[in-house]
Amino acid sequence: MGPPERKSAMSSHQTHACVLIKPPRHHGSVRRFRLLVLVAWCLLCCAVWGLPVQADPPQAQSAEQQSVLLKQGATLYTNQCAKCHGKTGQGNKEHYSDPLAGDTSIKELTEIIETTMPESDPDQCIGDDAAAVAAYIYESFYQNADSGQVVRRSFSRLTGAQLQQSLADLYQHFHSSAWIEEKRGLEAFYFNAGRWDNKKLTKKRIDPILDFQFGKQAPIEGVDAKEFYIHWTGSVIAPQTGRYQFVVESTCSMKLRFGSDERTLINNHVQSEGKTEFRRTLNLIAGRQYPISIDFTQRKRKTEQPAATFSLRWVPPGGIEHVIPSESLIPNRMPPTFALQTKLPPDDHSYGYDRGTRVDSQWDQAVTQSALEFGALAAKELWPHYKRKNKDKPNEDRALLKAFLTELAQTAFREPLSEPTRKRYILDQLAQSPDDQMAIARCCLLIIKSPRFLYPMVDDQSSLSQRVAKRLSLVLHDSLPSDSWLIGQAKNGHFDATHKQFENRVRQAADRMTRDPRMAAKVNEMFYQWLDLETSAEMVKSEKAYPEFDAHVAQDLKRSLDQTINRIFWDPNSDYRQLFRRDWNWTTPALARVYGQNWQPIADPSESANPSETSSPSESETADVDASGQPAESSAESSGSHKYATVPDPNRLVQSQSNPQQTLGVLTHPMVLANLSYHDVSSPVHRGVFLIRHVLGRALRPPNEAFTPFNPELHPDLTTRERVELQTGEAKCQVCHTKINGLGYTLENYDAIGRFRTMEKSKAINATGNYTSTSGQTVEFKNAKDLANFLADNPEAHRAFVERSFEHFVKQPLSSYGSDVEERLVKHFQQTNFNMRRLIIEIAVVVATEIPNGDS
Amino acid sequence: MKRREFLRTTGISSAAASLVMGLPSLGSAAEAERRRRIVFVFSPNGVIPKHFWPDQAGAEFDFKRILKPLEPFRDQLLTAKGINNQIRGDGDGHMRGIGCLLTGIELFPGDIQGGSDTPAGWSMGISVDQFIRNQLQANPATQTRFGSLEFGVMVPDRADTWTRMSYAGPNQPVAPISDPYAMFDKLYGQTKNRQMLSSVLDDLSGDLKHVASLVSSEDRQLLNQHLDLVRKVEKDLQTEFAAATKNDGAAHAVPKLQPNIEEQNDNMPEITRMQIELMVNSFVADFARVASLQITNSVGQPRMRWLDIPEGHHGLSHEPDSNEEAYEKLIKINTWYAEQVAHLAKRMQETPDPSGQGSLLDNTTIVWTNELGKGNSHTRNDIPFVMVGGGLDFKMGMAHDFGGVSHNRLLLSFLEGFGMPQKSFGNPNFCGDGPLTGIMA
Repeated sequence: MGPPERKSAMSSHQTHACVLIKPPRHHGSVRRFRLLVLVAWCLLCCAVWGLPVQADPPQAQSAEQQSVLLKQGATLYTNQCAKCHGKTGQGNKEHYSDPLAGDTSIKELTEIIETTMPESDPDQCIGDDAAAVAAYIYESFYQNADSGQVVRRSFSRLTGAQLQQSLADLYQHFHSSAWIEEKRGLEAFYFNAGRWDNKKLTKKRIDPILDFQFGKQAPIEGVDAKEFYIHWTGSVIAPQTGRYQFVVESTCSMKLRFGSDERTLINNHVQSEGKTEFRRTLNLIAGRQYPISIDFTQRKRKTEQPAATFSLRWVPPGGIEHVIPSESLIPNRMPPTFALQTKLPPDDHSYGYDRGTRVDSQWDQAVTQSALEFGALAAKELWPHYKRKNKDKPNEDRALLKAFLTELAQTAFREPLSEPTRKRYILDQLAQSPDDQMAIARCCLLIIKSPRFLYPMVDDQSSLSQRVAKRLSLVLHDSLPSDSWLIGQAKNGHFDATHKQFENRVRQAADRMTRDPRMAAKVNEMFYQWLDLETSAEMVKSEKAYPEFDAHVAQDLKRSLDQTINRIFWDPNSDYRQLFRRDWNWTTPALARVYGQNWQPIADPSESANPSETSSPSESETADVDASGQPAESSAESSGSHKYATVPDPNRLVQSQSNPQQTLGVLTHPMVLANLSYHDVSSPVHRGVFLIRHVLGRALRPPNEAFTPFNPELHPDLTTRERVELQTGEAKCQVCHTKINGLGYTLENYDAIGRFRTMEKSKAINATGNYTSTSGQTVEFKNAKDLANFLADNPEAHRAFVERSFEHFVKQPLSSYGSDVEERLVKHFQQTNFNMRRLIIEIAVVVATEIPNGDS
Repeated sequence: MKRREFLRTTGISSAAASLVMGLPSLGSAAEAERRRRIVFVFSPNGVIPKHFWPDQAGAEFDFKRILKPLEPFRDQLLTAKGINNQIRGDGDGHMRGIGCLLTGIELFPGDIQGGSDTPAGWSMGISVDQFIRNQLQANPATQTRFGSLEFGVMVPDRADTWTRMSYAGPNQPVAPISDPYAMFDKLYGQTKNRQMLSSVLDDLSGDLKHVASLVSSEDRQLLNQHLDLVRKVEKDLQTEFAAATKNDGAAHAVPKLQPNIEEQNDNMPEITRMQIELMVNSFVADFARVASLQITNSVGQPRMRWLDIPEGHHGLSHEPDSNEEAYEKLIKINTWYAEQVAHLAKRMQETPDPSGQGSLLDNTTIVWTNELGKGNSHTRNDIPFVMVGGGLDFKMGMAHDFGGVSHNRLLLSFLEGFGMPQKSFGNPNFCGDGPLTGIMA
């Protein structure tokens, strides 16, 4: 069951529709849903505005006083409120249908009742009466709506992302698994010859980016400008899932292989005058590393040679064309990788995370298409590969083919096949297709369309140990067990629930599985959702107000934010509080130009970042090029006495100067704040809503009507803060806006592109604000720094982060696992100094070690 | 008797004719023009002219050893001797031989070195097959699903000037598809996939029911919805197949390919047959009206072991005429190519044109050509051009000797014969005198 889904009637902020509140992020958790209702109740009424905010906590009351108060409240409620709200606040279809439940404090409830209730005459219930009714509601049903109510876990199919990842791993299973690499750039081999010739290898080095204009010169010393060959190899990391356009500019013969040695993406073996630009578009999956190799040849000839140029660029989803930055290149060749090209319909996201709880024909068709796509590649690449690996084994009566398809089905179904299942999925299909390629296509179609693949919660033949592995893969990688170690451990009963080390073993496996690119992708996605960012959305600002803010700056901001998130998360401490306390940024020349002093690189950026900090989940040894793109060299053979100039990445991310007052982690990152702004002015309302909902985990109901924000041009003398105050001053607005604005105003020092400012309209910025917690305590903030400190240490925010992490990784409501699980995770988070990676490991452990009903 | 002639002499309306002749009425009633087609067949390394060209020009020509397999098509055959590929510029003889053959224009400067000439890149212009294709596709009446289809037989998996004959434009070589299964997928992939889907749905719903029994009744709801979807697809597909059979029967029949034929030298005869079948079928389905069949590539090295010739073709083609053994083998190799052309012609002859007007061959001209006149001299004079079929408005049953004219003029004749005359094609310097004279009907 679960509460009804509800979409906000409001459009996005680009259209200037009112308060820009996105749909309530979550209803699965009743705790958050409750408040919506209460606020709505208030919105029905109009009354006085400007509620006084009291900073002191309510005074302690004696039990006797309390009991009197509750009795008084009960009487008042029965007489004045129950008619519309129902006896126990459950609501009434004719009047007010939503139940009274939420996370607002008694004090705030009192104020709301005092100013707005009853609807017919708000003056009828004020002062002590209002306090009594509030206390009664709060104690009787409002706050306890959770208790005794179990939110059901929803049975789900794979979400779109899970389908993509699972198919990628189904492919990967037949090769080896990818690993995390810290080095950045591509490995380069420079030959003083027109082809690969070990004796003529002049230099081996790492090129951080590929963007060369050699002209008629030799690319490096010791190589003949008339005839040379460069081989670049490594892998490309997709920072996010989506369509990428690869752009190669090459004036010489060139071949580019991508995804696998067998897949030639661009074949310009023939250099032909005028043919110098090559574009290919591909769908890439985040968390996957695609092997790439490039052969670049300047051929000697009797006719005139072209000036040698090579540039490897891309247009990422929502981005602009630019040279692929070093942080997206690694010098190691990863195993062949598969990325589904079929477009999948979006999943339901109304709870704040993707859920596969619906099936329809559009989805079914996309699955069919995906299955056909996978089947074609399985026949073309996996089967020949399997045959080569098993060439000594007999293939009589298609025994090898049967073995191949059985392994494929077992991996897809995440469990061993029973005989009837093997017959249905493999033997019967083979009998229908004498052609091997067709047989593979047919089996893949059936396997991938099977409920055994599409519904990961289905267990038929799997042991408890295998179920653990299944759940770990689903939670941490959105995928299926494909790595041989995990499949092996699962099969051997390593995760045996009766073993006294059971939980520790699961934790160890989870720990290992977090150090994985797939996990890195899922983490990145979580932060984007948490920060209210869309990975592929373009960010456009008023050219008049911010002429310096262009697509290039937006691109660099995204890179900077990605790096910030990655570095904080993958730091050994993985400290949540650093998200609000990191006092420097990753910067580039473009960002330094636009964002001023705080964004200037530190004196020697080559020693950027805290040395204790690692860029990624692995702890491997020193890199030739660190993740910020510093090149390193190693000379091949004896020519090493020369120091060759490599091309440094001019746009590499380096550490900025620190400013503990103004740079406050992701909270003040311009990517975040510019996104929570209009194209010309900041938006305290967006920012406040984001803080309440996303960071503090509280609920807000969207306003009943859409409002157009006041046009700044019609109020030329007002600051943004003054304008927002003017518009949201009415009592019905203030019910929510006291909360929203009080938080949003604290970020007023950051303008619509997220740049620090002290003045607006010749007036000094007023960045004071406040926040009232669920327990009714009000905190005052002088500025963003106060807010950042508050958020770093606030238990509500911690709980919200735990819940968000859980729901993102598990794709089920946290409350469906019971309140003790929630408490356990929150406590664990606090006890580990808010270590985010360990929190996610613990989440995976909780889910994976749960003994299914009836199996204990 | 041509259909139009038949109508004229009998005086019945075309609608009535459809009934009388039992033709699919949709196609013919709407079609005033017949479905012209052209197919370019390429074989490499020149020929042995003495055993190729008829001694005698005119209608009473003789068939030499190599062309013997084509003798049954005498009335629909035309040989055009005296056509020279005069394009100069960068590139070796083989490269210009294939790269300028259908484009009639030079190669771009580039870095592909062959022989002792200067290196070169791709062709500077569109090839005549692609030009015709574009014209047909621009007209709704002659548009087809693919416009043109490029078949290959053992073309090496290598994109270079020697492996590409067809060009969509300057620097835009079109890669032929050498794997019949890949071509099958291109042509019938969708239909095949729908059939495959339909054939697994029973198994799928069976297992969905079984899996539904493994989960709680609440969870089962989603699986039941899923099952309903599968049943709906099953029903939709049945309706779709029934409708397809009713509407266009044979035209959309999917040909059957021999299973598990690997793309390797010794399977060349099978692959050639498979490609020919696919081509004939795609004409029946009107997937395209332009096609090419590129057997290997310029400098191709097939080893025709099935003819007891273990040596590669190109290697042999360099042998002097005095090497009698090689000479004899080259005749046999070229005769084998002629047999493939004859087989294609035969399949087209025995297949009725879906428009109702005669056979496929009556409306299709097969142009068999080569990048060289003769292998060991690398001459591009007397380029082999042998045509079979009635797609072009040429007077067939003729052996011509044009006495050494630029091959651009023949390219112009193709366009004229197809009903889309042009002033020049390729490099205009070689088009001075326009299309060939005396070739049109």
